[in-house]
Amino acid sequence: MAKHGGWAGKVLRVDLSTGKISTENTIEKYKDFIGGTGIGYKVIWDEVPSATKPFSPENKIIFGTGPLAGTGAPCNGKTAITTLWPTCWPKPLVASGHMGGHFAAELKYAGYDAIIIEGKSEHPVWLSIEDARVELNDARRLWGLGIRRTTYEINLQMGHEASVAAIGQAGENLVPMSVIINSVSHSAGGGAVMGSKNLKAIGVRGTGSVYISGKKEEWEKAIKFHLSLLGANNQHVVPSSPQPWAEYYSPGSRWISSKGRNWEASRPPIETGSCDPHNLNRIAYRSNNAVFFLGNDAWKYTVRGNGCTGCPIRCHTILRVPSVYSKYAIPEIGQNTCGGLNFGRAFFKTFPDGPKSQTSIEACMVGMHFADDLGIWNNYGLLQRDFQKLYYDGILKTKIDEKEYKSYSWDKFEKGDPGFLFELLPRIARKDGELATALGMGTGYMLERWGISEEDWKKDPALQYWKMGHPRHHSNEDSGQIGVIINTQYNRDAQCHSHTNFIRNGLPIEVQKRLASELWGSPDAVDATLAYTPMNIYKAKMAKWSLLRKELHDALALCNWMGPISASPLKERGYRGDDSIESLLYTLATGDKKSCQELDHVAERILLLHRAITIRDMGTKEMRTMHDTIPDWVFEDIKDKSPFSKGTNRMDKEDMRIAMDMYYEEMGWDKKTGAPTLETYRKFDLGDVAEKLKQKGLLP
Amino acid sequence: MIMNLNFSRRQFLKVSGLAIAGISALSSLGVTYGMAEVIIITEQAEGLVIGDPTKCVGCRRCELACTEFNDGKASSTISRIKINRNLQLGYLGLYTGKCDEGKWGIGLIIQDICKQCPHPVPCADACPNDAIVIKPPINARVVDSDKCTGCKMCQRSCPWDMISFDSDTNKATKCFLCDGKPKCVEACPAEALKYVRWRDLSRSVPTRISPTSVISQEKIQACMGCHK
Repeated sequence: MAKHGGWAGKVLRVDLSTGKISTENTIEKYKDFIGGTGIGYKVIWDEVPSATKPFSPENKIIFGTGPLAGTGAPCNGKTAITTLWPTCWPKPLVASGHMGGHFAAELKYAGYDAIIIEGKSEHPVWLSIEDARVELNDARRLWGLGIRRTTYEINLQMGHEASVAAIGQAGENLVPMSVIINSVSHSAGGGAVMGSKNLKAIGVRGTGSVYISGKKEEWEKAIKFHLSLLGANNQHVVPSSPQPWAEYYSPGSRWISSKGRNWEASRPPIETGSCDPHNLNRIAYRSNNAVFFLGNDAWKYTVRGNGCTGCPIRCHTILRVPSVYSKYAIPEIGQNTCGGLNFGRAFFKTFPDGPKSQTSIEACMVGMHFADDLGIWNNYGLLQRDFQKLYYDGILKTKIDEKEYKSYSWDKFEKGDPGFLFELLPRIARKDGELATALGMGTGYMLERWGISEEDWKKDPALQYWKMGHPRHHSNEDSGQIGVIINTQYNRDAQCHSHTNFIRNGLPIEVQKRLASELWGSPDAVDATLAYTPMNIYKAKMAKWSLLRKELHDALALCNWMGPISASPLKERGYRGDDSIESLLYTLATGDKKSCQELDHVAERILLLHRAITIRDMGTKEMRTMHDTIPDWVFEDIKDKSPFSKGTNRMDKEDMRIAMDMYYEEMGWDKKTGAPTLETYRKFDLGDVAEKLKQKGLLP
Repeated sequence: MIMNLNFSRRQFLKVSGLAIAGISALSSLGVTYGMAEVIIITEQAEGLVIGDPTKCVGCRRCELACTEFNDGKASSTISRIKINRNLQLGYLGLYTGKCDEGKWGIGLIIQDICKQCPHPVPCADACPNDAIVIKPPINARVVDSDKCTGCKMCQRSCPWDMISFDSDTNKATKCFLCDGKPKCVEACPAEALKYVRWRDLSRSVPTRISPTSVISQEKIQACMGCHK
């Protein structure tokens, strides 16, 4: 039994070049970084030298879970996948993706907190992990198969319970825009990194346990308390329509259950009902992301909600659309959420029967069918926006030859015929032709290949392109300057939901301001959406808090799409959430007593290490000008409304300069360069990291 | 042992967990086969957990509540309610080649739950140490860990594969209904599990018509032979 609860206690290391399989002690080596991305960044810093290419055998890919994975802590299904990100442009840098599903729990039950994959196999292999029995198996017979078939074949060998994370043809063919998928629809980037290592899949089956250090009665109490504070998906805490129990409602909320709204494709149909927040046995009915994104027609096709281990929210919706079987000969059942759900639909500008129509839902089904089997990434929707721009601006025609151009049925595309996806998506996975190859490279490399300036992309607000080949992910449209700061910090799209979950929780701005003053010291930390005020120090504090909680969640294996619990649906609590819920769960699970502030300290260490790796690999300390950049469209408005006027997301350049100053100050980073100072590194026990950066002249 | 389902429980000796009498029910019927007296358990648990597969959302919070709140550790292997094994490919999918249930099929997840067999009780019958005993007041069969030697015979005898084995303690474990408040039921976020108490419904089935036929006196006399 491990000394600590929570952690499984071991990290698995697999060298594909030599076939050597070994383990390390999690607590001894990685406790200061908790788990998840923390372990990922630590391995990249220590072991992957600067200038390593993503597809070189020297790159490593780390599947990291954390101490709360596999436990009953709500929303704990995440496996963080950290590697050198192949779509990061102009130079691949460290980044991570976060895969939900059941892989994390199974890995923990097998006895591992993380897997470090290194080297490159001579021929395709897949890794099987059955508790202590870890083997590399020949995958030549699996190579070329989609994710669905691969999973099935591996389950045939490992049994029903095994969870399989596999790549599809896109990953095999080293398409940078590729993903790894487990449990049907739970994906994270890095598919091509696995492909470059000739690793087709990891199957894991664990029969062990994750121990809870605290008393089981206390753990039960903590879990029930946490559950009582949950809202719907993205921690929206008010319903989208008036409900008998609710003081407020907000049409933008993802809490869309109501009397008369049914999972109609279930046999028999199941009513979602009013879902009083005090009834913890109805949490799973609150959200239906298919309906949230596709409109009320999607109720007709809803079989049920689905999702990760231990999560009552169920943000992946299972849909049954019989017409796609007859029209396109694909399975009538599909499931996903958000970007994955909209994968196919988002390619089209219009549909014959309207934007939230039967055809648009069919396009979703076709898109999911291909993307989640071939393993293609959508770069948070930028792939589809790029495609539309390239076509409608006439760029595409000039970049590919006539023969190839004619090989696509553009009339189908213009009409909004989902059948068009049959032509496009498999070709992306195969790198078949110039268009498919360029799209699969990711935006930055595609622009470079075609001689298009990145500035052109930065100017177009419709693209929502941010920097380094990736789009915005909850930026100025979600809490103004705070969203902008967050979007400057990563080497891919930001994926931080701490801020947007609060700002979009549906509570009136007065209540949000009251909660904000308790959380970040002043009601001025938040503005009403589309009514922004100039920057202040409390916004900087909220930005920092948002980033730290994202890193903390990625390390603990909690879902940042749900946390932090900064508000709750409970009127009797004044809609307060609980800012220290992570510390309560961490302390009880692991037995390592850490306050909320102490955990934030660890999260800051992790974020700092991410910054250090980025500085080292970019080879410059000039982060403020070279890395933390903001695209022009943030400072523009279609109707030319001035910044801070009502109804605009437009930010002001000078104000954002002040905002970055305040943020760097909060972080203890040098304002001129945006690089962390020696003192800051030392404060977080990263003195050795600072020394190495100093030798290279990368300290401010 | 093949038993007639219509065999009345009154024909057996009631055996409680506290007083397992060494008198065979069969011997009370005058059938002993000349063997040592055996224990026949015929006690009904107070109720059982039932699942509605159409509502199951596959989050496994029931498995986690079962093991964390009872055993202080999270594990689907020792969970006494089984979701994980039907989660991905359904109940039979993998081996029959018909992946028609689970996440990869139509989405339906069948919750495997202990059936609280009243009689026969394959796990208890198979135990060479009589370690699976009735625990009042709920009268669910529980594994007496003092008696369990970890031989796994019970695991091999349950036709529904509902006995779990805890390799830390080297003991078998089975659903004991959490003494009447099942944690799994409490934990389900989709109301897909219910704890249902057994009750005698034979008298509550409504009659369809009011009988008006007249029965002859002779026939009534014949009836009275038994129904006094």
